[in-house]
Amino acid sequence: MTGYSKEVINDLVNGTLPWAQTRRIMSAYKDDDRFFKYLAVLQDRVSWSDPILLPVGDRLFICDSAEGRVTRCECGHSFGDYRRNWKLNAVINVRDTEESLREIYPNSDIPDPRWMEIREFFCPECAHLHEVEAAAPGYPIVHDFEPDLEGFYRDWLGKPLKDLS
Amino acid sequence: MLDKTANPLQRRLLESERLMEETGCYDGITELRLRRQDPLKFETLHTKLRAYCVSAREMARRISASPGVREVGEMVVAIYTPEGDAIALSNGIMVHVHTMSRFIKWMIRNGYEQNPCIRDGDIFANNDAFIGTVQVPDVMDVVPIFHEDTLVGWAGAVCHELEAGGITPGGDVCLAQERFTEGLFVCAEKIGENDEIRRDYVIRCERNLRMPIYWVLDEKAKVAACIDMRESVKQLINEVGLEYWQRLSKEFIEEGRRAQLARTRQLTVPGIYRGHTFYGHVTEGKPGFQPLADPNWLYNIPIEMEITSEGKIRLDFDGTQPWGYHSMNCTPAGMDGGMFVTLTQHMNFEGLVNDGAWMATEINIPHGTWTNPDNEMAATATSWALLLPAYGVFQRLLSRGFIARGFVEEAFVGQVNSPMIEMGGISQYGTGFGMAHFECAAAGSGALAIKDGLDTAYVGWNPESDMGNIEIWEQNMPMVYIGRSIVPNSGGAGKYRGGCAFISTWLINKTDHLRLVTSEHSSRVFDNGGLCGGYPAPTCEKHHAVRNSDIHERAERRESLAHAPGTDPLVSDFERIYKGEQVFEEGPYITRPHKAGDIFSHAYNGGGGFGDVLERDPVKTAWDVENGFLTRQAAEKVFGIILREDAEGYPQADIEATAVRREQMRKERLKKAIPVSEWIARERRRVKASDFAPEVAKMYRSAMKLSLRFSKDFKEFWGLASDFAIAGEN
Repeated sequence: MTGYSKEVINDLVNGTLPWAQTRRIMSAYKDDDRFFKYLAVLQDRVSWSDPILLPVGDRLFICDSAEGRVTRCECGHSFGDYRRNWKLNAVINVRDTEESLREIYPNSDIPDPRWMEIREFFCPECAHLHEVEAAAPGYPIVHDFEPDLEGFYRDWLGKPLKDLS
Repeated sequence: MLDKTANPLQRRLLESERLMEETGCYDGITELRLRRQDPLKFETLHTKLRAYCVSAREMARRISASPGVREVGEMVVAIYTPEGDAIALSNGIMVHVHTMSRFIKWMIRNGYEQNPCIRDGDIFANNDAFIGTVQVPDVMDVVPIFHEDTLVGWAGAVCHELEAGGITPGGDVCLAQERFTEGLFVCAEKIGENDEIRRDYVIRCERNLRMPIYWVLDEKAKVAACIDMRESVKQLINEVGLEYWQRLSKEFIEEGRRAQLARTRQLTVPGIYRGHTFYGHVTEGKPGFQPLADPNWLYNIPIEMEITSEGKIRLDFDGTQPWGYHSMNCTPAGMDGGMFVTLTQHMNFEGLVNDGAWMATEINIPHGTWTNPDNEMAATATSWALLLPAYGVFQRLLSRGFIARGFVEEAFVGQVNSPMIEMGGISQYGTGFGMAHFECAAAGSGALAIKDGLDTAYVGWNPESDMGNIEIWEQNMPMVYIGRSIVPNSGGAGKYRGGCAFISTWLINKTDHLRLVTSEHSSRVFDNGGLCGGYPAPTCEKHHAVRNSDIHERAERRESLAHAPGTDPLVSDFERIYKGEQVFEEGPYITRPHKAGDIFSHAYNGGGGFGDVLERDPVKTAWDVENGFLTRQAAEKVFGIILREDAEGYPQADIEATAVRREQMRKERLKKAIPVSEWIARERRRVKASDFAPEVAKMYRSAMKLSLRFSKDFKEFWGLASDFAIAGEN
C-alpha cells in the first residue's frame, strides 16, 4: 500500500513539494491513509484547537466546536452551522461595472456587466477571499457543497462521529 | 410487421439491460469469476486488448491525410461487446467511446439485423448526433466481429473531420440553425461490404465536401484500424475460446463499473455539490445568421452533483436553458460523452477504463433543453460551446470532493471553452478548399490546487492536447504565421493562476478569396470559472484584422512589424504599426472574404484560477512577467506584487514592499465589502423590478418555465411570492 509521511503531505498541500515527487504521487496508487494525515497537517496550520472534520475550501473547514459543527475560516472566524451556506454570513464585493472589472482584468477582454458580475466572498475578519462567483445579475448565491458528513465518517471512513442530537 | 424473434442481437441487448436492472451489475455479472480464478490472466488479457486499440490507432494516424488526425491525434478506437458496450479503448478523443456505443445500440434497436443486415466484413458509419456522436465532423465507423457465425463484438473508430460540407467551411459550423445546414450526414449507414468501402459512398463524399481528401482517407484509416482490431480479437478468441471471451468481456465491464464506484469512494466525499457557468453569445445582426438564429443568446448552466453513499455520481442539469435555433445544442450522446471523457481523465487514470465507469453514473438532462432537445431537427454543430463549460463545472465539482478528501494533487479548476477557427475559399494552390484549424486543441487549462494551470497545452476533449506543427497548418491554408505568442493575463488570477492561452497572427497569402469563420466565442460572460477564491479566466479576445495592410511595404522598407495585437486594451499594436482598414469583431468572426495582404489574429482561452490572489508567490510572478505570462500592471494591481528591476533590468519581486501592499489591499477589501445580507436586501429590489438586460430577463423566464426546481429556488432565495414572474415576453 502506498503511504507518505506527514511532512510530504504538508509540502504537497502547500504546493512546495518538488514537481518530480508530486508527479510520482499523481501517477502512483492513492494512499488510503491520506485523509487523517491531511487533517493533521491542516490542524497544525490553525491557531485554534477545535478539531477539523472536513476541509470545504482552500482555507475553509468544517470543525467541531462549542457552538456545534460550524464552517470556519483558517483565521478562526465562524460562518455558522455547517449545514447552512457559509456565504450568507460572509462579506461581499460585487464587480458589476466595467471600471471595477478592469481592476482584475487590466489588459484583457471582459464581459458586459449588464450580463455578468463577479461576486467576491471574503472573511469579515481576515479578508481572505474564499470564493468568487461569476453570475448573471439576479442569480441566487449558490451553496457550493453540502457534504454528508455523518455518512462519510460512518460508512466511508468507518469512524462514526459522536451523535450531537 | 417486424418479426422481433428474428433479431437475436436485439433480444440479447434487452436481456442485458434487464439483468442490469435486476441485479445492479452489468449483464447480471454478480461475481468476477474469471478474475478470481486467474487474476494475472485476466489483467494480461485486458492489457492485450488495450494494446490492440493503441496500436490500431497509431497505424491509422499514419494512413490519415488530415493534420487533425495525423498531427493533433483527433481520433480514438475501441472494442465493444455485441450489445455495444465498450470493453477497451485507445488514447485520443475518448469522448466518443460512449457515443459510439450509442451508435451500435441504435442500429440493434432499429432492426439492422434484418435490414440492412449485419454480416462479416460489413462497415457501418455514422455522424448523426441524435444517433450517437457529438457533432457532424465526428464521423465514426464500426465493423462487426464474428467468430464463425456468432457476432462476438464490434471494433469502432472515430476521427474528427476538418471539413463537413456545411453552410460554412469546416465542421463546427456556427451558422447552422437547423440540421439542414450542418453538412453531410451519414445516419447509421452501411458504407461497405467485404471489408471494402462502397464506391458510391465515396462519390457522395467527394461531391458534397469542400476537401474530401480528409474525410475519405480518414475513412480508410478508420476501416484499417477496425479490421486490425477485429483480426486481433479473433486471434485472441482462438487462443482463449469463445465461451471464455464472452464471459471475460463482460467481466471487464463489470469490473470497470465497480472500480469507478470504489474510486469515487476513495477520492471524494458523499454529499451534494453545486456550481454553474454561463455562455453569452453575440449573434444579433451578424452576417449569415438567419432570422430565427439572429437574437443574442445567454445561457445559464446550473449543475448539481450528488455523490451517493454507494459511490455513484449523479449529475443533474435541471434549470438550464431550452434548445434554440443555433448550432450550440447538444444531444444525450454528447452529454454522455462529456461525462465519459471527464471520468477517464480525472478518476480512472489507472487500471480498467471502459463503459463500466459510465454505468456507475447517472445524468439528468431535462427534455427540451440544449442538453436534450425535443426536436431532432435542432443543430448541434458547435455543441462544444456549451458542453465544454458545462463539463468544466463538473471538473470543479469533483475537485471540491478531491480537496475535501485530501487528494489536492488531483484538484483541477477545469477545462476551457476554446474558440475555434475554420476557413475556406481558394487555397494558395488555386483550388477550392475548406478546413478547420485545430491548434485550438492546446488552450490554457484551469489551475490545479497545488500549481498553475497548463499553458497552451490542454483541452477537455483530448487529453493528449496538441496544437500541431505550425508548418503543417501553413501547408493547408493560404495564410502564413507572422506571430504566435502567449496572451498575457489570459489565465484566471489566483494563488495559482489559470494556464495561459496563445494568440496566432496570420498574413493572408496567395489568395483573393479566403473566408474565415470562428465559433465557440462566449464574449459577454465568463464561461471558464475559478475555484476556492480564484477568478474566472477573461472572456475570449476580440478578433483584430487589418484589411489592405501595408505589411509588405513595411517589410520592404525593413521597418518593424507587429506580431500580435499587444496588451493595451485601448490601442492595439496593429493600429500603431499598420496602415489599412482596422477591424475589431466581438464574438464569432463572419465577414466578407479576405485577400492576400490582410492580417488576421485569433486568440484562444485560458483557464480559471485557484485560491486567493493575494497568496500568489511573488518570485514566481516575477518570472511570469519576465516571460510574458502576466503584465506588470496585473502583477501589481491584481496580485499586489511589487516588482523592481535587477541589475540587468529583469523584474524582481520586492518581498517586503509586497507584504505591505497586500496588507493594505486586505484593508481595502473589508472597506469595500458589505454583509451579504445587506447585498441580498438591495438586490431583491432589483430582482422584484426585473431590472435586467433583455437577454438576462429572457434567460430567467425560460429557466423558470422549464424547471420547477429552478423557479422554486429562485423565488425562495429572493423571498418572492410563488406567483412571481420576471417581467417581459420571450
